[in-house]
Amino acid sequence: MGRRGRRKARVAGITALVPPELIYAAGWRPLDINNWIPGSDARPRSKLCAWTASWREAILGGELKLDALVVVAGGDCHNALADGQVAARNVGRTHYFFYPFDGDAGYMEGQLRALEGFLGEGLRGERAHDRAMRALEEVAAAKRLGLRLEALRSAGRADPGSTFDALISFSDLEGDPARFGGKVERLIDASRDFRGTEGPGVALIGVPPIYRDFHRACAEAGLRVVFDELPYEFLRLGGHDLRSLARSYSTYTFARPVEFRLGLLKRELSRRKVRGIIHYAQFTCHHLLEDGLLREELDLPMLTVQGDLPGRTPAQVRLRLEAFGELLGAGKGAI
Amino acid sequence: MAAGRAFVGIDAGSTAAKLVRFDGRRVVRSRMVPARDWHSLVGTVRPREAVCTTGYFRRKVPHHLTLTEISAARLGVARSFPDAEVIIDLGGQDTKVTDLRNLTLQMNDRCSAGTGAFLEQAARYFGMSVEGLSRMAERARDRVDINSTCSVFAQSEMISMLERGARREEVAAGLHHALARRIAELVPDAERIVAIGGVARNRSMLFALGAILGRRLRVPPEPQMVNALGAALHAVAHSSQS
Ligand code: SF4
Repeated sequence: MGRRGRRKARVAGITALVPPELIYAAGWRPLDINNWIPGSDARPRSKLCAWTASWREAILGGELKLDALVVVAGGDCHNALADGQVAARNVGRTHYFFYPFDGDAGYMEGQLRALEGFLGEGLRGERAHDRAMRALEEVAAAKRLGLRLEALRSAGRADPGSTFDALISFSDLEGDPARFGGKVERLIDASRDFRGTEGPGVALIGVPPIYRDFHRACAEAGLRVVFDELPYEFLRLGGHDLRSLARSYSTYTFARPVEFRLGLLKRELSRRKVRGIIHYAQFTCHHLLEDGLLREELDLPMLTVQGDLPGRTPAQVRLRLEAFGELLGAGKGAI
Repeated sequence: MAAGRAFVGIDAGSTAAKLVRFDGRRVVRSRMVPARDWHSLVGTVRPREAVCTTGYFRRKVPHHLTLTEISAARLGVARSFPDAEVIIDLGGQDTKVTDLRNLTLQMNDRCSAGTGAFLEQAARYFGMSVEGLSRMAERARDRVDINSTCSVFAQSEMISMLERGARREEVAAGLHHALARRIAELVPDAERIVAIGGVARNRSMLFALGAILGRRLRVPPEPQMVNALGAALHAVAHSSQS
C-alpha cells in the first residue's frame, strides 16, 4: 500500500503494547493512546492511574477520535481494563486482547488471529498479502534501526532523552513505519555530533515516567540512562508472520510472571554494566508492590520514584534523582 | 586543605536553617534559626571560608558547593557512627531513609502522615508544643491505637477517642506510635540504625520507633545539625581534593 492509502487507514487505539506489525499488516494505523499524555497537562477527574484516566477522558470528551479500540485485558492492569471499558462507550468497536501469563505461544497465536479477525483483514488473502508483507518489513526495518540507536545510547554515544522519546514511540511507530524509520535514522546520524554523557550508567525500569522531561532531569542529576525497560520490549519483539509474531510476543515480560521479567532484566543490566536502577511506578500502580522483590533480586542500588500527574518532573523527584547521583558517585569515592 | 581555613555547612531546610562552622578538626560553632532568617546565617560567613549548602533551599543560599541533604546526612552521620547501616532523617516536612549498605533511598514526602508535621498538628490541637506532647506521651501507662494512616483522619480519630473518654497521655502515646509505624514501613532491617533530624530529639518518637523496629536507635549529638555538619565536611573533602 502506498503512502496515500496509508493516510486513509483507519485508526486503532491501543491501551498498551499490541503487536503493531499485525495492525499495520491489516491495513490499519495503530495509535498508542498513552503517548500524548506526558506532553499534556491532563487533569482527569475520578482517576486512579493518570495514564489510563487521561486517555479515558480524552476519548469520552472526543479529543481522541478512534475507529476502534484494542484494550489489553490480559497482561496489563485492571485500571487499564476498567478505564478501557468506560472509554469503549465512545468508540464504535472494541476488542479485548490477552497475553498469555504462562507464555503459551499457541494461545498467543490464537489471540493474534482473533485480533486479525477483528480488524477484518490480516496476513491472509492474496490482495492483502503484499501489503501485509510490506508492512511487516517496514516495521522490522524500523525496529532494526531502533536497536541500533538503543545500542548507541547504551554506549553513551546518543542522547538518552531524545533516544527515549523515539524508542517509546515504537509501540505505534507514529502511524507510519517507513517515515518513523527515517526519523530514527536521522537520530542515528545526529548521534555523530553527540559529545557523550558522563556519570554512572543507570537503568530505568517499570512503566514509563509520566513526566515529559524525566530523562533530562536524570541527566541534570548526573545520571546516565543506559537502559529503558519498556521501550526495549517494544524493540525486542517482532516477527515476519503470525507464528513468529506469536512466539516473540508471548515473551513480553510485563505480561509474564515477575521471575521471567527478572531473568531478562538481569541479563540486560549486566550486559550494560548498570551501576544503579531507577524503578518508576505510578503511585496507584500494582507494579509498586513488586518493588521489594526487584530490590532483593537485582542487587543494585535502587531508587523508587512514584509519579502521579503528567507535567514536568517535580522538585521532590529531582531531589531524589540528584541524591541518587551523588550516592552512586560516592560509590567510586567522589565524595 | 588550606591551614587555618574554616568550612561552613548551611542546611537551608523548609522549617529551619542551620549553620555549622568546622575548623578542619572540630565544630567551632553551630546555630539554628527559622527558615526565613537564613540571611542572618550567611551574614556570619567570613571571606575565604568555603561554604557548602544543603537542604531544600540549598541553591538559594550563596555557596561554593551544594549537596543534597541525603548525601549531607551520610557524611555527617559517618563522623559519629562510621559503621552506620541505615540513616533515618526525621524532618518536619519529610522523612528520608537511606540504606548505606546498598545506597537505596526511600522517602515519605507524599503526605504529612509520615513526617514531623503530623505531631505538630496534634500538638496544636492540645495547645502545647511538640516537646510537651512528647513529655505527655512519656507519662502514659498504656496507649490507644490510632489506625488511620492519613493525618487528617488520624486527627478525627484522636478527637473521637478523647470524647469517648480516652486519657490524653494515652492518645499522645498512640499518636507517636502511629507516626512511628508509618516511618517504620520505610526502614529496612538493619542492626545499626541512626536517627537524625529535628524529630530525632523527640524521646517518645524514638521509643516508639525503636520498639516497632526491635532496635535501639542511635542518635548523634545535635541530630538536627547533622546535615549542616555533613555539608561542612563535604567542603573540607572538596578542598583537599582540589
Ligand atoms: S502505570 Fe500501572 S496502574 Fe497505570 S496503567 Fe500502567 S500498569 Fe496500570
